[in-house]
Amino acid sequence: MAFLQLNALSKRYGAVDAVVATDLAVEKGEFVSLLGPSGCGKTTTLQMIAGFVDVSAGQILLDGRDITHAKPASRGLGVVFQSYALFPHMTVRDNIAFGLKMRKVPAAEIAAKVKTVLELVRLAPHADRYPRELSGGQRQRVALARALVIEPPVLLLDEPLSNLDANLREEMQFEIRRIQHAVGITTLMVTHDQAEALSISDRVVVMQAGRVTQIDVPYKLYEHPRTRFISDFVGKANLLAGDYDARGIPQVRHAAGDGELVLSLRPEKIQLVGASEGRLQGQVLDRYFFGSQWLYRIHTALGEITVVRSNDGSAPLGCGAAVGLDWQAELLRVLTADEVHP
Amino acid sequence: MSRNGPLALGFHGLVVMFMMAPLVVVCLVAFTPENTLSLPTSGFSLRWFRAVFERADFIQAFYNSLILAFTAATLATLIAVPAALAISRYQFPGRNFFSALFLSPIIIPHLVLGVAMLRLFALMGVNGSFTWLMLAHVVIITPYVLRLVLAAAIGIDRSAEQAAESLGAGRFTLFRLVTLPMILPGVAGGWLLAFINSFDEVTLSIFVSSPATQTLPVRMYVYATESIDPMMAAVSALVIALTAAAMIVLDRVYGLDRVLVGKH
Repeated sequence: MAFLQLNALSKRYGAVDAVVATDLAVEKGEFVSLLGPSGCGKTTTLQMIAGFVDVSAGQILLDGRDITHAKPASRGLGVVFQSYALFPHMTVRDNIAFGLKMRKVPAAEIAAKVKTVLELVRLAPHADRYPRELSGGQRQRVALARALVIEPPVLLLDEPLSNLDANLREEMQFEIRRIQHAVGITTLMVTHDQAEALSISDRVVVMQAGRVTQIDVPYKLYEHPRTRFISDFVGKANLLAGDYDARGIPQVRHAAGDGELVLSLRPEKIQLVGASEGRLQGQVLDRYFFGSQWLYRIHTALGEITVVRSNDGSAPLGCGAAVGLDWQAELLRVLTADEVHP
Repeated sequence: MSRNGPLALGFHGLVVMFMMAPLVVVCLVAFTPENTLSLPTSGFSLRWFRAVFERADFIQAFYNSLILAFTAATLATLIAVPAALAISRYQFPGRNFFSALFLSPIIIPHLVLGVAMLRLFALMGVNGSFTWLMLAHVVIITPYVLRLVLAAAIGIDRSAEQAAESLGAGRFTLFRLVTLPMILPGVAGGWLLAFINSFDEVTLSIFVSSPATQTLPVRMYVYATESIDPMMAAVSALVIALTAAAMIVLDRVYGLDRVLVGKH
C-alpha cells in the first residue's frame, strides 16, 4: 500500500460535485503535483487531505491509518498556504516554534530544531523579524519552515508560489525542490501552473472538473498527453485532424474536414524549411519574440499552426514570408476523445 | 487622493468651527474667576475646578460613570466578540436576525429605550439598581463593539487559523494564541468606543438611574436645570479632556478613520 492513499475520494457541495471519486497513491518521499485550472477540485482535494473540508465519500489513508474523519490537529500534516498564513503578531522564530509548542516539546529542543530549520530555509539572520518586515519569498520560506519543523509525514503545498513574481517563483521552485530532497519528505503540491508542476514534480496528476484525467511523470505527460484538454493545458499544442494510414500509423489528413483522429503536434517539434519543401506549405502571419525563442503563427491549408523555434542567432522569418513545415511522423500524438465536460 | 476645492474647504472650515466653537467657549469659561458664565473673562482662575472637587455628589457621580462605563464596555465586548466571530464565519439559521438584533439599538432613539426600560425595570422591581443600569448600557453600546470586531474578524486571514489547527492547536488555544491577537485592534477599539459612549450617555440614564446610581452626565443635567454657573463649564471641560484622551488612545490602537468612516 502506498504511503498516502486516496480511495474514491469525493466532495459534493449541494448539487455540485467538486471532487468525483478520486483515486491517488503517493509513495513515501515522492513529490506529486495536482495540476488543473481553477475550479477543477485540486484545492478541495488538498483541503480534504489536510482536514479543513469534510469528506462526502471515500477514504484517506496515511501510512495505513484511516484519517478520513480525523481532526486537522491530529493528522500532524505540514500545510503551506497560498497566502503564507503566517501569524502576523509573532516573530519568525515564534511562527516556526508554534507547532512544537503545541506538541509540548521542551524549550531547549525547540530552540535547536528552529535553528536547524531556519538554516535549511536560509533565514537564520531574520529569526527575530515579524512577517510584515519580510519579502514575499522570505515569508514563503517561513511558512515552509513552520510546516517542516514538526517533521510531518506529508507536506501539503497549496499554490505556494502563485503570489510571487516570475523571477522569484522560479528561484523558489528550485528552493522547494532542494529542501524536499534534503528532508526526503512526501509532498503533495496544488498548482495551476503547468511549468511549475513539470519542473519540480516526480509525478503530475491532471484534474479537470473534479476528476483525475491523467497521472504521469512530467516528461511522459508532456510527450503523451491523453486528451485534447491536457495537450492544450500542459504546454502548447497544434491540434490536427488525422487518419491511420495503410500501415496503421497516424498521419495528418491533408484534405479539409474532420479526420477519424485528433492529433497533437507540439510547436517545437515542427521544423521550418524552405518554401515548397516539407509536408505543409504556409505563410508567416505573425511572430513573437521571447528572448530564447521565436514563436511564429503560420497560416496553412490546415488552419493556423504555431511553431516555436529557438533563437539560435540565425535571422528570423519576416511576416508574410512563405515557408515549408516539416515534422517527424512519430512525434504526432493521438488524443483520445474521453473528454470530461464540466 | 483627490484634493478639495476652495469652496469645499471653506465649507469644511465652517462645519468644524460650528462644532468646535461651543467646546472652546466652555473650556475658556471654565477658567473664569467670576461668578457667572462670562466671556471675555477678567482673568485666569482654577476656582471652579476646585469647586468641582469639593462637591462630593459630583465626585461620586464621576466614579459611578467610570465604573459603569468600564463594566458595561467590558461586558459588551464579551458579548460582541463571540457574536462577531459567529456572524463573520458561519452560516446558521437566524444569522441575519441576530446580526440585526445586535445592531438595532443604534437606530432606536435612546429616549424611547429609556422610557421602555423605566417601565420594564419598574415592573421587575429593579428600579435604581446599578446592575440593571449597567445592563441597559450594555444594550446600547454592544453595537459599537460588534461593528468594530466584525470588521476585524472579516479582515483576518482565515488560513492562518487553519495553519494553527494543522500545527496541533485545539479550539481554545487557537482562539487565545491566533484569532484573538489578530482581531485585538478591533476588540480594543470597540471597547474604548463603547466606554466613551457609555460614559457620555445621558438620555437613557436619566430614566433608569436613581440618586444613588446617578452618572456624571445625569448629575450635570440635573444641576444645570437648577442653576448655571461656571462650575458646569469646569465639569464639562474635564469630561471633554477625558473623552479627548480616550479618542487619542482609540486613534492610536485602531485608527479613528476606520471607526468613523469605515476605512480599512
